[in-house]
Amino acid sequence: MVTAEKKQFPVLPGAWTTPSAPGEKPHLIGSRCPACGEVFFPRKPKGRCTHCQHDGLEEIKLSRQGKIFTFTVVTQPPGGGYYHGPVPYAFGLVRLPEGVYVESPLVADDLDALKVGMDVELVIGKVWGDSEGNELIGFKFRTVQSARKKEAAGEIAR
Amino acid sequence: MKSLGELKALREVVVAGIGITRWGVYPEQEWYDLGSEAVLLALKDAGMEFRDIQAAFCGSCYQGVGSGHQALAEIGKTGIPIVNVENACSSGSSAFRLAYQQIATELYDIVLAVGFEKQQHKGFIPSTAFRPWERLLGYNVQPANYAKGVVRYMEDYGATIEDFSLVTVKNRRNATMNPNARFQQEVTLEEVMSSRMIAKPLRLLHCCPLADGAAAAILCSRDKLKNKDRAVTVAASVLASGVYGEHETAGGSIKFPPAVGMVELSVRQAWELSGYGHEDMDVIQVYDAMSPGELWDIEKLGFCRPGQAPRLLREGVFDIGSRLPVNTDGGLMGRGHPMGATALAQIIEVVTQLRGEAGPRQVAGARVGLAHSMGAGPNSVVTILKR
Repeated sequence: MVTAEKKQFPVLPGAWTTPSAPGEKPHLIGSRCPACGEVFFPRKPKGRCTHCQHDGLEEIKLSRQGKIFTFTVVTQPPGGGYYHGPVPYAFGLVRLPEGVYVESPLVADDLDALKVGMDVELVIGKVWGDSEGNELIGFKFRTVQSARKKEAAGEIAR
Repeated sequence: MKSLGELKALREVVVAGIGITRWGVYPEQEWYDLGSEAVLLALKDAGMEFRDIQAAFCGSCYQGVGSGHQALAEIGKTGIPIVNVENACSSGSSAFRLAYQQIATELYDIVLAVGFEKQQHKGFIPSTAFRPWERLLGYNVQPANYAKGVVRYMEDYGATIEDFSLVTVKNRRNATMNPNARFQQEVTLEEVMSSRMIAKPLRLLHCCPLADGAAAAILCSRDKLKNKDRAVTVAASVLASGVYGEHETAGGSIKFPPAVGMVELSVRQAWELSGYGHEDMDVIQVYDAMSPGELWDIEKLGFCRPGQAPRLLREGVFDIGSRLPVNTDGGLMGRGHPMGATALAQIIEVVTQLRGEAGPRQVAGARVGLAHSMGAGPNSVVTILKR
């Protein structure tokens, strides 16, 4: 599938784990402060807690499932030519059990059906591809409903 | 750092002259054309010459290197210190604050603050107030980031899209009485509610229009005034940046939400410095880049409790002629939004009202007013002016 010319690039290097064994699933990587307990995503490369100023954050694997705290569906292309994905597209804040919001693209069969409080789970994959064949690989959260439907469809095909 | 008492004892600073261009879309004009026009208007208003200006602060966002120098070079080159100020949509009020400080601390006696912006007028502003990876994901859409707040506000307080639409209706009505506003026509509630969807649930007429434009103010010590009758005193000029954990575009802290948010922090300092409180304000200009923002801003500034502004709006409390006129010149929604100039235009509207020169939109007997700007960063600037 991947041709020689096609380039894949991660939206944020080091933001998620890559599964090393079959059955393993990717996780987002956050930072946790051992002093005050605050959790951050994305992880803080400088290792500084911006809440209590502690020096020495620990990296943690974040939960794959969360709930939509808020979101929007954008119906006009963003400016600047940075984004090459489909329009409309959705993004919002996902609240994870660790007590942190992750701002993330949101995926659903029907973007109009997105609602605050919906259960969503992490997907790592193509966010968009541009006309030159470059692919942006990133994190996104898909509504659990949509994810189950995909799985079910996959099982039938098998 | 100076104590509150020392700050209150600083030299009085007055606004001697103001100038604002007619905001709109001017393909044939550059930022230096607009900026220099506003400065000339302010000089005329103050009865001063360019050679009287001892220092200048020039607010803009996307105008490039040395943009203020180029604007002022259209008028003269007198060797004075010129500093370009980029503080997102609070650039103009940040420039004003720097000018204020120079005079209050007696470094200079007459200082210019100017703000200008020539826009691209091609869809969304390609905001660079986002990190490169955020731009790749399409987060750099300002209406979308407001929309996320709108969804929460509706969840938390039961506000409706109609509430936000009524802000647009009010501000576009006020703009018809401001000859410098980009939009001179009223809009109906139906027109707002049926305008094109931009970032669900916000529609086109919930978003302020772009505009090219400029605004300028000349500040000085009282002894340098040419016309003492029209002088307006700066009672407070406060700038705050974000506080840890507050809900901003990318979400706040769940574990450690702040006790006092950025807007609250800035307005509290402004009350302390000026000695005024909410009940003293005759007119206020708040930050309505998106129409819901006006309601949140009124609440965050403490003029009512969270969630109450929509009801007060419906009761007409924020109309000219009522208890608390808000965005009397049409706000960003009616005036348009040249980023570097906007926050200075808010201050200029308060000055105009306190002078009693606002014509059909005049708030009768206005003596004290407040202007509040916000900006990416985030930034919050509160300016209190008194007659």
